[in-house]
Amino acid sequence: MNSPSLAGRRRYDVIVVGAGMAGSLVAKRLGDQGWRVLVLEAGTGTLDTWPGHLDALNTFASAVAKVPNSPYRPNAVAPSPDVLHVGGLPGGGYRASGYLVQRGALPYNSDYLRAAGGTGLHWLGLTPRMHPDDFAVRSRYGYGRDWPIGYDDLEPHYRAAERELGVAGDAAEQADAIGLPFPEGYVYPMREIPRSYLDNVLAARLDGHAVQEKPGSPHTTLRVVTTPHARNSTPHEDYDGGRGYRPVGAAGLPNYGERCVGNASCTPICPAQAKYTPLKTQAAWSRDVTLVTRAVVSRVLTTSNGRARGVEYQEYDDPAAPASVTRTAEADVVVLAAHAIENAKLLLVSRLATRSDQVGRNLMDHPVLLTWGLMNHPVGPFRGPGSTSGLEGFRTGAGRRTRAPFRIVIANWGWSWPTGSPGADVARLLGMGGDPAAPRGRGLFGAALRDELGRGVSRQFALQFEMEQEAESRNRVTIDPLHRDLLGNPRPVVTYDLSDRVKRGMAAAKAVSDQIFGLLEAEDHTAYGPGPFAPGHFRYEGRDFVYQGAGHGAGTHVMGASRETSVVDPWQRCWDHPGLYAVGCGSMPSVGTANPSLTMAALALRSSERIHRELSELRRPLTVRTAPVPEGRP
Amino acid sequence: MIPELDRTALEDESVEVPPPVAGFIDISERLTGFTAFDLYATGMAQLYHDTTVDQVGREAVGRFIDDLAAAGGDPDRLVDETSREIARAVTHLWYLGVWPALARSVHRALGREKANTAFTAAPEAYPEGLVWRTFHGHPPGAKAPGFGTWADPPPGAPPLARPDCPAHGTGGAT
Ligand SMILES: Cc1cc2nc3c(=O)[nH]c(=O)nc-3n(C[C@H](O)[C@H](O)[C@H](O)COP(=O)(O)OP(=O)(O)OC[C@H]3O[C@@H](n4cnc5c(N)ncnc54)[C@H](O)[C@@H]3O)c2cc1C
Ligand code: SF4
Repeated sequence: MNSPSLAGRRRYDVIVVGAGMAGSLVAKRLGDQGWRVLVLEAGTGTLDTWPGHLDALNTFASAVAKVPNSPYRPNAVAPSPDVLHVGGLPGGGYRASGYLVQRGALPYNSDYLRAAGGTGLHWLGLTPRMHPDDFAVRSRYGYGRDWPIGYDDLEPHYRAAERELGVAGDAAEQADAIGLPFPEGYVYPMREIPRSYLDNVLAARLDGHAVQEKPGSPHTTLRVVTTPHARNSTPHEDYDGGRGYRPVGAAGLPNYGERCVGNASCTPICPAQAKYTPLKTQAAWSRDVTLVTRAVVSRVLTTSNGRARGVEYQEYDDPAAPASVTRTAEADVVVLAAHAIENAKLLLVSRLATRSDQVGRNLMDHPVLLTWGLMNHPVGPFRGPGSTSGLEGFRTGAGRRTRAPFRIVIANWGWSWPTGSPGADVARLLGMGGDPAAPRGRGLFGAALRDELGRGVSRQFALQFEMEQEAESRNRVTIDPLHRDLLGNPRPVVTYDLSDRVKRGMAAAKAVSDQIFGLLEAEDHTAYGPGPFAPGHFRYEGRDFVYQGAGHGAGTHVMGASRETSVVDPWQRCWDHPGLYAVGCGSMPSVGTANPSLTMAALALRSSERIHRELSELRRPLTVRTAPVPEGRP
Repeated sequence: MIPELDRTALEDESVEVPPPVAGFIDISERLTGFTAFDLYATGMAQLYHDTTVDQVGREAVGRFIDDLAAAGGDPDRLVDETSREIARAVTHLWYLGVWPALARSVHRALGREKANTAFTAAPEAYPEGLVWRTFHGHPPGAKAPGFGTWADPPPGAPPLARPDCPAHGTGGAT
């Protein structure tokens, strides 16, 4: 599909910048309607072939630190941030190296991936909907920003996104346990992914019990709820009015990749491709979509009256060498879909959408507080998808007036996130810490080592408290001419911190965790302190906390009802520039507690409809003509 | 019935192949607590043997073997810090497929000229790590157990009677 010379010559209807989840969905929708779409992708496109997929699996197996980006080869000219670039200091504080320049009080501790497929190659694949309350946090709860649209506006697009991504879930349970409105009789394309044994242990011990965040505060009743996933399960026979659903298999190898077989490596790579990735959408693009990889968009071009006209991009051959050719491509509509942080960067570099002074501001993530412990019998960690259920009772409600709400994710992969299990357990029992300069312990060997590992690891479990972070203008992406990458493009400069609201939410989450551990009769091993593996360490009201990044970057080209206070309108169109759209989580004015990509996908599909209308209007004189047009007329 | 040709081969001493890296397996059994059968079954014995020799040198491996013999074959009784660190490193290699960074003092004492960094011995080594077998787990990204298996109780865990939530979920027939 790589046809470099083509791009220079032809005029397109639409240029999409970035072949991640948002961009791939927009290109699919518009290509299906016959529009000529050019997708420019900064990274390489090796992963959509079967040998490329196998190479990524090998790279993953060889990586000593199995972080989200580890299966994907570093690209010097289109660099990606990596969680390994951020480290903690012994006495507290952090240092950052690599692509993102970090200037905040606390680190933005999330990565993304620049390769065809984008961050959706290594996402976990959880696809809960946002709660209706999440769209109106300012008017209902007095903080952050409201959306100019609500749950009801998005609902049909949620359904469309659930089809495109192939979501497995139990709609009746989501409605009952969380209060999510669905149309009468709606079922997801596939039946829910079975709960893990761990989920069932938690349900048996927690369901129906109430906990309190503080003495005197209201009680919240616990209930384990299965999570919707973009992951192949058993098709639901009632889906689509009884027409059912056909799961989408692997990209690059026909007749492969069916139901989730429990590889337990969804983040960073699903060997079976049971998990949705944007490569699946790309495999279904019509012939009207042209993908050019190794094309780093460096600037958006506009006409003198501010209308989008095209983009300038740098095409390269070798991801390790800073040699490129600068080209331009033109189209009636330009869609930025390069990820929240890169979209903001492109607008800043192009000096566009400046009126509201909101470009790059309101950067959000879901800061994650982890707690971890040992159950009193084996619970089967490291089996199945990373999470199959959660506790949803803290996602909204009165508590939200004073502290951030949270979603509790039950983690199926033991202590892998908080401590680096099981590798870290082996090293610890052998007397080897992470620091070669530190003195060694004696170490255990033979049967003693084997038994001790078996007894310990088999009982590990963890909870992830995913906090809502509110839009704050001080959390932002900027550029600085002093910090550039190999092609001379500015690197994102990030200023990030957590508000007291989020910190109060974490304190409440920890109190809830303590009670849950009590009900589970679990041994709590949670410990927070500064150190090399704790860049997210902070102290709040005399107590230590450590948070992690969720990879849910949002807010950087915020959507709003007015051009004075927001970057894009309710259709994700830049207020200041006709024909220029910025799609992705960057448009979200609030993120609630749901993992954001399903909402992002719904927004992208909704915008595709608007783009289609816009293009149809532009073309009307040509397409609706009934009589031959006289010579000389357009 | 053994065909004529094979019988000749068996009788001919010159073609008898010694079991590969038998000594290394012998030591590794004591280090890891797994049997020779388990260790050979990983397919990694030769690679780990070669990696060890390559990383610390024949001389140090020789001293380590002598020290272990003097300790009655019990790694826990190794007193020499270099030999004990080699014992830790070889065990780490078997359990995770990763050769670890050595204690800085041992790295120096051995006069190693290579970078003292951890690395995975080969992509195939990772799924063969023994650690997964200590708790009946499977290596993420390899050896997938099958749809819905995560709902079953693992060995040593009580089954759960939850009529509203059958062991395989409501995900249909598996
Ligand atoms: C570890 C991890 C786990 C996650 N798990 C979940 C989850 O379970 N559920 C959930 O909802 N979300 C999850 N997310 C978030 C999810 O991955 C993102 O929300 C989503 O992938 C964003 O999609 P996007 O298309 O906006 O950006 P991306 O997927 O990042 O795609 C952007 C694309 O643009 C390209 N690009 C960038 N710059 C340029 C340029 N200058 N020119 C041309 N192309 C460019 C990139 O190469 C990339 O292909 C997770 C994230 C991480 C990091
Ligand atoms: S559990 Fe395994 S098969 Fe299922 S989605 Fe994750 S990696 Fe793929």
